[in-house]
Amino acid sequence: MNKSKHILLSFLFALGIVAVPISGLSQSYITKSGHVEFDSSVPLHSFTGVSDHLVGKITLNDSIIDFYVDVNTLKTGIDKRDNDMLKTLEAQKYPFAEFYGKIVSDFKPIGEQPQKVTVEGKFSVHGVSKQTTITGILKKVQKGILVEASWTLNMTDYNIKPPGILFYRVSEKIDVSISATLTPN
Amino acid sequence: MKDQLKFYLVPVILLLFSMQSVAQMERERVNIVEPVETFWTPTLISQATTEHLSAGNLNVTIMHSFGIATTNPIQNFFGFDNVQNVRLGLDYGITDKWSAGIGRSSLFNVVDFRTKYALLQQNSSGSKPISISLKADLGIVTQQNRQPFKDDLTTLTSAIISKKVNEQIRLQLSPIYGYFSSVSADNQTHLFSIGLGSQVNISDRFAFIAEYYPIIGEKNPNTKNTFSLGLNILTGGHVFQLFFASTRWHLEQYAMAQNREQFWAGDFRFGFNVNRIFGL
Repeated sequence: MNKSKHILLSFLFALGIVAVPISGLSQSYITKSGHVEFDSSVPLHSFTGVSDHLVGKITLNDSIIDFYVDVNTLKTGIDKRDNDMLKTLEAQKYPFAEFYGKIVSDFKPIGEQPQKVTVEGKFSVHGVSKQTTITGILKKVQKGILVEASWTLNMTDYNIKPPGILFYRVSEKIDVSISATLTPN
Repeated sequence: MKDQLKFYLVPVILLLFSMQSVAQMERERVNIVEPVETFWTPTLISQATTEHLSAGNLNVTIMHSFGIATTNPIQNFFGFDNVQNVRLGLDYGITDKWSAGIGRSSLFNVVDFRTKYALLQQNSSGSKPISISLKADLGIVTQQNRQPFKDDLTTLTSAIISKKVNEQIRLQLSPIYGYFSSVSADNQTHLFSIGLGSQVNISDRFAFIAEYYPIIGEKNPNTKNTFSLGLNILTGGHVFQLFFASTRWHLEQYAMAQNREQFWAGDFRFGFNVNRIFGL
């Protein structure tokens, strides 16, 4: 073995040695059945859309938060309204609403007390991504980690035209909330 | 040398795995298998469709038909001056497959109770290629008359078979049996028809609809097969149906028994239905 090869292999070995503890630390939690809902309103009336197909992953060592939902799974309780919503969201073209970001506030991975955390990242829906800051709660539970968060999004920020007929129009602001228990991956 | 390489590569692979764990997840669509929407409304024009209300949904319907549009059209303003029949109806989804409803028609003050059940629902995976529903309706003439209550009754039973052919075309075939507890001379106690219906979508908001009631066997004297042609307008919360029809009835058994107009001879009337679904 010549000297340069030896240096290269030593470097790779050292990298590997460093990687092993990183791998051990990168404990992640995942769910495929989180709950997401939104509240929308039209004059004199409001309705809620829900889905229990929220997919999420939290990686503790680097505080990465990754959530998405197939918007085609959202149900408002009236089929025709669902169809209208999916057409408005162009759900066949843009099937996912997603958030990918990082916990930016102090967070202790261990502890059963609910911890208020702030995450920053990109929220994307309808093919438009916006830098977003969301405040939520993380709590260690028996099965893993409980996540709860809520925020308000403005449809026009995401080029979504609020549907409306004649004299009434759906409010531009939508209150979104998620709740999910993530288990060790 | 090979063994040495393997030795060095193991930790590198571990590193790659650790890096993968923090990468963005691959987005996967949810495979949803659910009933396809065949028609936009539980009633096409007067014929029931295989479309069902979701559990807990209430469909409020207002159905109107006017006078013959071609008889003295200017004096009668194309029939609008002669309101012939108005049916107000409520249908409720007891489950996603079973609904029940009540309605009242202004003609003879007929109050009707009805129920519909989905035996089979065409689904998005294609494993169920057609929809089949059963419908029953009990009509009671509540207008004051000299006949006993038992003679005021009519019933209807039908099997509704439909198929969403593609995004534009829906077809339906309904064997229908109508029973009349009391009939005048020469009229039929039992009436049979193979109801035909279709919907052709021309956009997300508009669709043409048509229905036909060819009577099988004996029909009542001087009656014609009912035909209707209309336009569905979907407005989010409502479905408006504007139509031309030979019959003034909004109930199938009466449409079979009492239509005296021939649509294609120009004897048709204007009518419209309003459907509004509420989630309770």
